[in-house]
Amino acid sequence: MLFYSFFKTLVGQPVVVELKNDLSIAGVLVSVDQFLNIKLDDIRVTDEKRFPHMMSVKNCFIRGSVVRYVQLPSAAVDTALLQDATRRENSAEK
Amino acid sequence: MTDGAIAEPLDLVRLSLDERIYVKMRGDRELKGRLHAYDQHMNLVLSDVDETITVVDVNEETFEERIRTVKRSHEMMFVRGDGVILVSPPGRT
Amino acid sequence: MEETNTAKKTPSDFLGAAIGGRVVVRLNSGVEYRGVLACLDGYMNIAMEHTEEYVGGDLKNKYGDAFIRGNNVLYIAASK
Repeated sequence: MLFYSFFKTLVGQPVVVELKNDLSIAGVLVSVDQFLNIKLDDIRVTDEKRFPHMMSVKNCFIRGSVVRYVQLPSAAVDTALLQDATRRENSAEK
Repeated sequence: MTDGAIAEPLDLVRLSLDERIYVKMRGDRELKGRLHAYDQHMNLVLSDVDETITVVDVNEETFEERIRTVKRSHEMMFVRGDGVILVSPPGRT
Repeated sequence: MEETNTAKKTPSDFLGAAIGGRVVVRLNSGVEYRGVLACLDGYMNIAMEHTEEYVGGDLKNKYGDAFIRGNNVLYIAASK
């Protein structure tokens, strides 16, 4: 639940989602669900030479399991708050 | 206990919060960055990350293998846990 | 159950006895980790100390402490 809540705070932010097949998609985070599936708007593929078939795509849904990384704008992340939430979550479970 | 009670493996990761950690990933990738969040799947949030990707190039004619490393950096990133192999807290040999 | 018969041990008994001792952890990728087993959980997540990483039999890295995600583990062997 921690990362679901975390991503909900990032809705509206510009992110880059890097997939396990090396495709990187930059876009605005529209929504996220409990599986960390992600919806992006205004997308742009960073390496269009390698992935020309994505050029006309404007928005997309990404299955959570194919994500390797999500690059985030650091200004949008309160690290102190995140660490507190992490400590709370990992002590509440036991 | 020598360094805070480690009763289960995840405690090692908990004690590394706000520290620079080393992460070994699938696909010959390594990350070094400051840990801000984790969960039981090893999903992570890291900042000031240095990523090293090891690539093996094979020469098509001689079949010689050349090992090359690609470096990237990320100011803030989420790492999906299923790609994680190993996490090591900061140097303390 | 036969609580006194030490010959009938479960995998959990084996792992319990291995804690605190030297072990070899082999991953699906073939990489091996040699060190002291600090603890482990039901997913076979592992915490190790004084860990040495061997790739193809060659020492490649050393870690003071290491957390290994359980899904990568092929086996855990107790060593002397």
